[in-house]
Amino acid sequence: MRSGSRLMRILGTTGVPIAIALVIVILVFQVLSPVFLRPSAVSNYLNNGIPILLITVGVAFVIVGGGIDLSIGTVAGLSAGMTIWAVGAGMPTPVGVLVGVATGLVFGVVNGFVITQFGINDFIVTLATLNVAGGLLIVLSENVSLRGVNAPGLASLTQGSTLGIPTSFWIAVVIFVVMQFLLMRTVFGRRLFATGVSSEAATLAGVEVRRVRFNTFVISGVLAGAAGVLLASRLGAVQAFLGMGYEFTAIAGAVLGGVSLAGGRGSVWAAVVGGLMLATLQQGLRLNGVDPVYFSIVTGLAIVTGVVFDRQAQRLVLRRNVGGGPAQAVGAHPVAPEASHARETGVKS
Amino acid sequence: MSTDQSKARVSVLERAGYRLLLDPTLGVQAMLVTICVVAAFSFPVFLTEVNLYNVVGSSIIVMLLALGMTVVLIARGIDLSVGAVMALCAAVTAEALLNGYPLTLAAPMALATGAAVGIANGLLITKLGLPDFIATLAMLGFASGILYIWTGGVPIIGYMVPEFYYVGGLTPLVGSVTVPMLIALVLALVLGGLLGWSRLGTHLFAVGSSEHSARQSGVAVHRVRILAYVISGLMAAVAGIVIAGRNTNVPADLGTGYEIQAIAAAVIGGASLGGGRGRILGAVLGALTLAVSINLINLLGVPSSYQKIVIGAILLLAVVANRLSEIVNAWARRRRLARAPVDHEADAPDLGPPTVPAESLKPTRKALR
Repeated sequence: MRSGSRLMRILGTTGVPIAIALVIVILVFQVLSPVFLRPSAVSNYLNNGIPILLITVGVAFVIVGGGIDLSIGTVAGLSAGMTIWAVGAGMPTPVGVLVGVATGLVFGVVNGFVITQFGINDFIVTLATLNVAGGLLIVLSENVSLRGVNAPGLASLTQGSTLGIPTSFWIAVVIFVVMQFLLMRTVFGRRLFATGVSSEAATLAGVEVRRVRFNTFVISGVLAGAAGVLLASRLGAVQAFLGMGYEFTAIAGAVLGGVSLAGGRGSVWAAVVGGLMLATLQQGLRLNGVDPVYFSIVTGLAIVTGVVFDRQAQRLVLRRNVGGGPAQAVGAHPVAPEASHARETGVKS
Repeated sequence: MSTDQSKARVSVLERAGYRLLLDPTLGVQAMLVTICVVAAFSFPVFLTEVNLYNVVGSSIIVMLLALGMTVVLIARGIDLSVGAVMALCAAVTAEALLNGYPLTLAAPMALATGAAVGIANGLLITKLGLPDFIATLAMLGFASGILYIWTGGVPIIGYMVPEFYYVGGLTPLVGSVTVPMLIALVLALVLGGLLGWSRLGTHLFAVGSSEHSARQSGVAVHRVRILAYVISGLMAAVAGIVIAGRNTNVPADLGTGYEIQAIAAAVIGGASLGGGRGRILGAVLGALTLAVSINLINLLGVPSSYQKIVIGAILLLAVVANRLSEIVNAWARRRRLARAPVDHEADAPDLGPPTVPAESLKPTRKALR
């Protein structure tokens, strides 16, 4: 352990192990089926994967703040439905995009408000709004036609390309860069990490924990809305159950990337890599003729692997910091770590 | 349980007042009665024997799941896998019957499946330290994935044997009373006794109220939590056996959405997600309230596609109401404390949780893990 400590430090950085694993998995699939890395196949699977990657990043913010958001999947589905409905009703594309994003925003605000103002368990609230959003999409799809909409403007978001690369790819990259900046280089990001490590300590350090947590749900909602717009653009039609189960894949991706479900650790790029890993596995399994049903099992295993790995990494960090070790992960020890440590952790991960 | 602490040193009248405010099941009873009265006045059909038995019959599955969910919630856990496990156990029962096993063997097979899943959930949560809802969410995906692969997405049919019509409640036993109703009644009594009078029951409440204190007092916390998930798995298995008989076919998506109904019923019945609170009677009434609400919606002629939204809204209302009752609870205790300053020291151990601001509850839980 001691001799390999430098290597361990690099490997212990959030997102690095999964990035290495991703490269290996890609190589394996390339060997198994040579079409895997063909440009058309890659752009196809990126296009398929990007909506879920956006949700993954959104939920990563909530998880870093020590919360959870289960509503994102059906909210994305509902946003897609709303976008198609708006465009189908003859509104111009930008309005349609706005309608989709606004739908996500509304759900984010409702989630954040109920959770932070009443102090109710976040996952039960978002489980309820998951049902509300899913139910609204069913009702919407029964009352208006959500297929056969001719919207070249909307479709060009995913089917068009800029500089030879699909437009949706550019959109996603811009969003990821902005989000990574927000998480790592802004006051909000610092406060978010502090909140996730210990909301008690953050409160004592003057952070308005409620507002920070509220903001994470808004971010998650807006990104789910954006994901819905891209889904609408790619599919061109929305069926009643769109988005169901996406939250599971998104949370799994974030956790696999090293975003700690205990809160306070993670990064946007790590979440993206984790999400890409799942998308790659899905694509690879499909190309090799594996029943897509197995994917839900793979996702479940991914979560377990991610959490177990996270615990091991945490133990490693603890062992390294003997002496000045934080109380944060010792368990059964309600003493909060100092806020300065929270900041340190934020920078490191 | 939460009223235990308020028993001391309060006048009878005051106690009655507090009970009204604090006892969650009283709220549910009031809600249930209100909905029933509204329904009875608006729709004469509601009070007919056929309709009432239908409502009770349709609530049984959710009730069975809610009973198990209440036990898990008391221990400060959550089980999202109940719907999928129920479907899996239904498939086990159906396949066993198809292969010629008698019901007396098929049912234990399903129960064993449910118990095994419960143990797996418990081990993932206690030994690997996965958060409860992540572990059981993964188990949901796992169980429904297995079921899809096993059945190939084709519903299992043609397994009905004569006595299974009784188990499913399709053939009533006496008058309009069906076997599932009796099963639910017996299991509710058993679980009520378990929670109220057994050592395990006390331990469940102790673990849910404060895992740290429970461990310090020598409670085998891990074993208690695993047992809570085993009970939930067993209840899901019973629900699976009943629904296999009731449905006469087992599609792979049979259990979809049942977990949220079970949670809603338990929470309406006063179980708290913060652990340490919950009542068997509450779960029974909660399931009935859900069933009556759905019945009322149907009578109103609202399309069934709205059902999902309504259940989500009911759950949201229930948690908000639950939370408000907790706030009132804390306020009442503080007031009592202010009025009787002499009792400060004697009261002190009872006063812990509610005076802590809501935001800080989470990290405390984290620290205790």
